Amino acid sequence: MRSSVPLPLIAFAVLVYLFLMGPLVIVFGAALSDTSYLTFPPKGLTLHWFWQIWEIGAFRRTIVTSLQIAFLATALALLIGIPAAYALNRYRIQLPGWLSTLFVLPVLVPEIVLGFSLLRSVAVGSDLPIFATLLMGHTLIVLPYCVRVVSASLASFDFAIEEAAVSLGSPPLKTFFTIVLPNIRAGVIAAFILAFITSVNDVSVSLFLTGPGVSTLPIQILAHVEQFFDPVVASVSVLLMLLTVAVMAVVERTLGLTFLAK
Amino acid sequence: MRRLTGWMLSLPALALVVACLILPVGATILATFAEPGGPFAPYVAFFNSGFRRTVLWRTLEIATITTLVSLVVGFLTAFVVSRAPPRWRSILIIAAVFPLLTGVVVRSFAWLIVLGKNGILNSFLLWVGVVDAPLSMLYTQGSVIVAMVYLFVPLMILTLVGVLEGIPDDLLQAAASLGATPAATFRQVVFPLAVPGLIVGAVLVFTGSFTAYATPQLLGGERQMVMGTLLHQRAMVAFDWAGASTVAAIMVVVTILVVLGMTRVAKRLNPMAT
Amino acid sequence: MTQALILEHLTAHYGTTKVLDDLSLTVPAGELVSLLGASGCGKTTTLRLVAGFLDPTAGTITLGGKDLTRLPAHKRDIGLVFQSYALFPHLTVAENVAFGLKQRGVATAVRTKRTAAMLARVGLDHLADRLPGALSGGQRQRVALARALVIEPPLLMFDEPLSNLDARLRLEMRAEIRTLQRANGTTSVFVTHDQEEAFSISDRVAIMHAGRIMQFDTPETLYQCPANAFVAGFVGFENLLPLAVTARDGAQVTASANGVALTLSQTDFGAIPDHFTLATRPEGLVLADKGIPARLGLRTYLGRAYQYVCDTPLGQMLATGPLTAPREPGQTVHLAPEPAQCCILPPE
Repeated sequence: MRSSVPLPLIAFAVLVYLFLMGPLVIVFGAALSDTSYLTFPPKGLTLHWFWQIWEIGAFRRTIVTSLQIAFLATALALLIGIPAAYALNRYRIQLPGWLSTLFVLPVLVPEIVLGFSLLRSVAVGSDLPIFATLLMGHTLIVLPYCVRVVSASLASFDFAIEEAAVSLGSPPLKTFFTIVLPNIRAGVIAAFILAFITSVNDVSVSLFLTGPGVSTLPIQILAHVEQFFDPVVASVSVLLMLLTVAVMAVVERTLGLTFLAK
Repeated sequence: MRRLTGWMLSLPALALVVACLILPVGATILATFAEPGGPFAPYVAFFNSGFRRTVLWRTLEIATITTLVSLVVGFLTAFVVSRAPPRWRSILIIAAVFPLLTGVVVRSFAWLIVLGKNGILNSFLLWVGVVDAPLSMLYTQGSVIVAMVYLFVPLMILTLVGVLEGIPDDLLQAAASLGATPAATFRQVVFPLAVPGLIVGAVLVFTGSFTAYATPQLLGGERQMVMGTLLHQRAMVAFDWAGASTVAAIMVVVTILVVLGMTRVAKRLNPMAT
Repeated sequence: MTQALILEHLTAHYGTTKVLDDLSLTVPAGELVSLLGASGCGKTTTLRLVAGFLDPTAGTITLGGKDLTRLPAHKRDIGLVFQSYALFPHLTVAENVAFGLKQRGVATAVRTKRTAAMLARVGLDHLADRLPGALSGGQRQRVALARALVIEPPLLMFDEPLSNLDARLRLEMRAEIRTLQRANGTTSVFVTHDQEEAFSISDRVAIMHAGRIMQFDTPETLYQCPANAFVAGFVGFENLLPLAVTARDGAQVTASANGVALTLSQTDFGAIPDHFTLATRPEGLVLADKGIPARLGLRTYLGRAYQYVCDTPLGQMLATGPLTAPREPGQTVHLAPEPAQCCILPPE
């Protein structure tokens, strides 16, 4: 095969990818360093800092909170997002066009503005527990991913199949679960994964909604880095990268990695 | 009837967006007009403060440079990715998705290790002998920009690969068969066809870097305050909610202006518009 | 100005798969030669090799005595018409046509004049400022043709150029391509899987299969005297009867297989070797009083005759019977070859 891409351009792309991968490799190395400060290449090798994550209560607690919030927010967003996506596609003609724009607003409005506004209007002056407002904020920011990704797979779904099932005597709700849902499975899984990882990594909204005793992992990392420059944060970062790897492995198993390419 | 079903199904999601986004953000912006001292007093105060003007200007500058660098780097890289053999293409796309799925905090933190006093870059420079004492590279505009470019290049690559893959090989081969050199083909065929994608990418990167918080906080700190960190500082450190709301409102306005402006540019530049 | 294209011992691989196997072909100057075959036969690969989009693993490509083998695609000066047309969607019709001239540094005034003249020639002068997206399939095809012709290349190549058009337009464009090619006398290579298309417009046709050329001849020769079983099958010799000579009596030769004996005359077929395959079209195997015993199966009406699927000791055959005497399935008859619709092939 004759390549249509000139060699210097390929060399440039290789450098860009080294630039993209390098810092992550460095974090990995730094997490293994047997020193009390962050350094690369690591001096001596130890897994001590991974134990430290567990030892430091704040990390332990925020990891649990982050996972709980991510899981619940994603589940909630799917619960309300799938019907919305279905309505947007099934009743496209009956519903106004701005409705679909509305559901992507949470990605258009700067997240930090959103976080601050939620703090002003919802968190302050209401008796809602911190966990609940945090969950609300996260549900909101992952909703666009759910609506958009599920919508995309509904767009290629042939609603005639659903009509066929109904004409054969299947009740509407049952038809949705037995006919529609299995056909948009890939979209739902992809939405779940995107939403989950978005929630786990969120900073800007959590920044304003965390409070005494309840925080998320990224906020805890920021707080820790301001005071200490030790390899614990590197090892937490490695854990987060492993989570990414795990997520990508799930995608690969269920949808094939080419799915990510879209 | 069908109309009603449609509305019923969208209602829960609609309620969440209205209650937790439109009303709160609307309230934040409206609040800036309801301050004592007149409807525009907070804005007058903002632009009268040399410090805050500097912050706004710095943020615009960082976002602009980040966008331009990401455009060039992302476009060239995405072109290589889009023309790679299928196997390599998937590997390269996955290699771009991985950092994107790894959080902002982790990716910004990585640059602390690279650029720090004991960081790898300083160690390298000392070892080579270019410098005698470690340079302080952190908490500069440069460090923020490098990390932001790092943050947004994968996004740019993925946005553009989709667009560039849509340009059929046939077109490039047709150009070659008509005597166009690879450089001429790139300039006269690939670039004009990629303009819509470049604009989408530019909007994403500009709004993303204009409203960023974690990266400027970690790599710029107090010394390189930007709109995002200023908003946080006003709200959570100074408890100056009026000031914070003003910053928020300006961020929203700039974001909207950029999105609208770029959409207009996109319409004018769209090569396929008739 | 007209130049011959000579391919010598071309071999090409996609990865480890060999897609072209020691292919040699000469396209005489000024002729239109078709590469004909099913998908995967190597015809498009051959075209891509000549265009310079693919590198051969072995062999050479020369055009008018100039070695093209290692020349980059943009220096080959070959006019290409793509199956997808490959019009630049962001350029107007006129800009598309002028593209090649621009690359050659032709002065703007000359470029405009030549572009306009070429557009007039393909009847598109009124659409010069449209974008390709606003054109019909036939119009796009004309733009693609004009774009390839305007650079006055010594070689034109067409990659299934008509396959995206409807039947009527296909015939029209076919005639137009042939007319333009004749008028310019440009050496041309035409890739297609459509036998009628290839035979109707070509000076010569190369029938390809599995990366090789099975036969390279004029359409007439291919149609009447296929050189092997593959080509015979390709041009409609549906029945292949492998036979061995058992007796020779002057010009009369008796040949048999599976207990069936046929008598053939060398005055009809020329010298008949001891082992051969008799190939016939369905209309070359007719119902008769003697010959190959056959049991009739499905009968289909073809307008000028009936066609029968028959079971014979030599396998299943397609035979033809007159409209005046329809036969019913299950009847036992005899089939006789009609020499004018038969040919003798060397043994497999």
